[in-house]
Amino acid sequence: MTATLAEASAPTEGRAPRAPLTRLLRSELRWVLRRPRTLIGLGLLGLAPVVIGIGISLATGSGRNGPDALFGLLKGNGLLLPLLTLFLSMPLLLPLVGAMSAADALAGESANGTLRGLLLAPVSRVRLLGVKAFGVATVTLIAVAIIAVVGAIAGPLLLGGTSMLTLSGTTLTVLPSLGRVLLAVLWVTVQIWAVGAIALAISACTEHPLIAMASTLAGLIVCTVLESISSLGWLQPYLLPDSWGSIVDLVRDPLDMSSLTTGTWRAVCYIVVGLSLATARMATKDA
Amino acid sequence: MNNRKVTLAVTAAGVVAGVVGLGIVANPAGAGPAPTLPSVSAESLVQSVLTAKPAAFAGSVEVTNNLGLPALPGIPLTADGVNKARVWSDGQGRARLSLPSAQSEQVFVEDGKTVWSYDSAKKTATKSTKDAAKDGAGKTPLDQHGDRAANPVTAAADLITELRKTSNIAVDGTATVAGRPAYELVLSPKPDERTLLREVRVAVDSELRIPLRAEVLTNGTNEPAVQVAFADLTVGSQDASLFTFTPPAGTKVEDKNLTAKDRKTAEEAKDQVSPQVVGDGWDTTLVGRVPAGLLSGNATAPNGSTKHNGQNPAALLKQFGMPVSGAWGSGIKISTKVGTGLLTDDGRFAVGAVPEQVLYEAIGQVK
Repeated sequence: MTATLAEASAPTEGRAPRAPLTRLLRSELRWVLRRPRTLIGLGLLGLAPVVIGIGISLATGSGRNGPDALFGLLKGNGLLLPLLTLFLSMPLLLPLVGAMSAADALAGESANGTLRGLLLAPVSRVRLLGVKAFGVATVTLIAVAIIAVVGAIAGPLLLGGTSMLTLSGTTLTVLPSLGRVLLAVLWVTVQIWAVGAIALAISACTEHPLIAMASTLAGLIVCTVLESISSLGWLQPYLLPDSWGSIVDLVRDPLDMSSLTTGTWRAVCYIVVGLSLATARMATKDA
Repeated sequence: MNNRKVTLAVTAAGVVAGVVGLGIVANPAGAGPAPTLPSVSAESLVQSVLTAKPAAFAGSVEVTNNLGLPALPGIPLTADGVNKARVWSDGQGRARLSLPSAQSEQVFVEDGKTVWSYDSAKKTATKSTKDAAKDGAGKTPLDQHGDRAANPVTAAADLITELRKTSNIAVDGTATVAGRPAYELVLSPKPDERTLLREVRVAVDSELRIPLRAEVLTNGTNEPAVQVAFADLTVGSQDASLFTFTPPAGTKVEDKNLTAKDRKTAEEAKDQVSPQVVGDGWDTTLVGRVPAGLLSGNATAPNGSTKHNGQNPAALLKQFGMPVSGAWGSGIKISTKVGTGLLTDDGRFAVGAVPEQVLYEAIGQVK
């Protein structure tokens, strides 16, 4: 469908030669990854597991009851560190990365005046949006992967142990543990893609990247607040962060995928809505 | 421009699809139409449940609580909402139960000889060896009530006769629970029973004859006050490693076998409470006297371990109870949709699935 759309929306007069898609994608990636703010952001994210790991290895208190029950499992279970860091960075840090790159992708170009050039270029608008969405998706995946990789290296070094003690009281060996970490990376990435898709839709509607970023994060914070109001139980299954807590299910044995799967479908729905809105706005935008 | 219109139409469809999808994710489709099953009488259904062989399965059970009680600190299960449990059984007496909560999990493993419980939040494991004296020769509890009760056919008949004195029992159609066809067995009180309950429905798997769902319905609403139901059920042999438990390193392991002394303490506590049953059928109430000191939070409960996390139970009860008084004295009444509890100021109590008036009558019989 995208291909036909791209075909259809190509300039009718004289069919300008179209740039190959891979070249577009590569140049977008180079453009995104060369931004100092992207690099600094990714670097700081990589510090998160190290900071948490050092904190836990220095901690001597025995606060093992209560909400920090997950932390209590960390010592001697190094491979839990990437999972725990992902769990902690999901509510704000990672959405920030998704929203920031989505805001830069369209509103940022608008603010620089460079989007105009892109809109006039012999690249269909749907294609242009696809390339931009690819950039956002890649940055998100890299951000999540950095946390996981740094965590998986720092965890065993700082906390010891290359296994994973599950909440169910069993211990997973290295390979199954790494499998869980990989699953976590994929699952978190899809969730953050959903944030990025919504941010991209807002980004297409404004010329100020700050607005796109702020309104995405504000929406997310509002969702988190609504999640904590128990009388709004009927509304909560519609909100994206509703299943974000279920990343903890990856530390159970046997694995229970039911709420993770629900969460994935929810994120896919948000991605479809976000990208559709962004495409609609791009198609109607004046160059 | 035509292609712009096409793009807009496609994106509009995309938005609609996404929103509809979100609705489906949020409200998963309920069970389909009731399955058609050969008809069965209540007697033979109850009998088949009693004779059913334990099956090997893995499943998850959802407990939906709509009692109308507030959440008690430390006991979130009392609050309205859905709680999930995961269960595994090998059909030969070994089983595993896990109660996941937001960031922890409680696991219970029964490996045939030992029952383990593990709490990931506290990092403690408790081990209790099954009492050899209790069911030594592999007797099921069913066998111990004499010959008539040992035979499931007569046991079912006896059970039904007993229940029919106060209830109507019927097989009321079929249902699909956890994707499996089931019979609905309905137990409802006779009109002269004074109870808050309207009916108890049990969905029995048509093939395995194990209960798949139990619902307690109260007067005036179609929402079950309590529902315990399988959300999914996979029948088949299970991995044997599920039914063993090795406490992970760094876990505090407690041995918890009831000693003779523990039993004596429990007996004494029971004598002190001296519970007695007033009434029969649906308006049965349990009355008795609370051991002195328990309400102030510094006595030990019958099992010798309850500490209530340092809270004063009496103060806790006052928080969600209602002060009442009458010819019988004065006290605190706690109402839920399925039952009422009454605790008088002088330490008498009465509980039952009955309206409060029945409790006021029953409480007078406590010595």
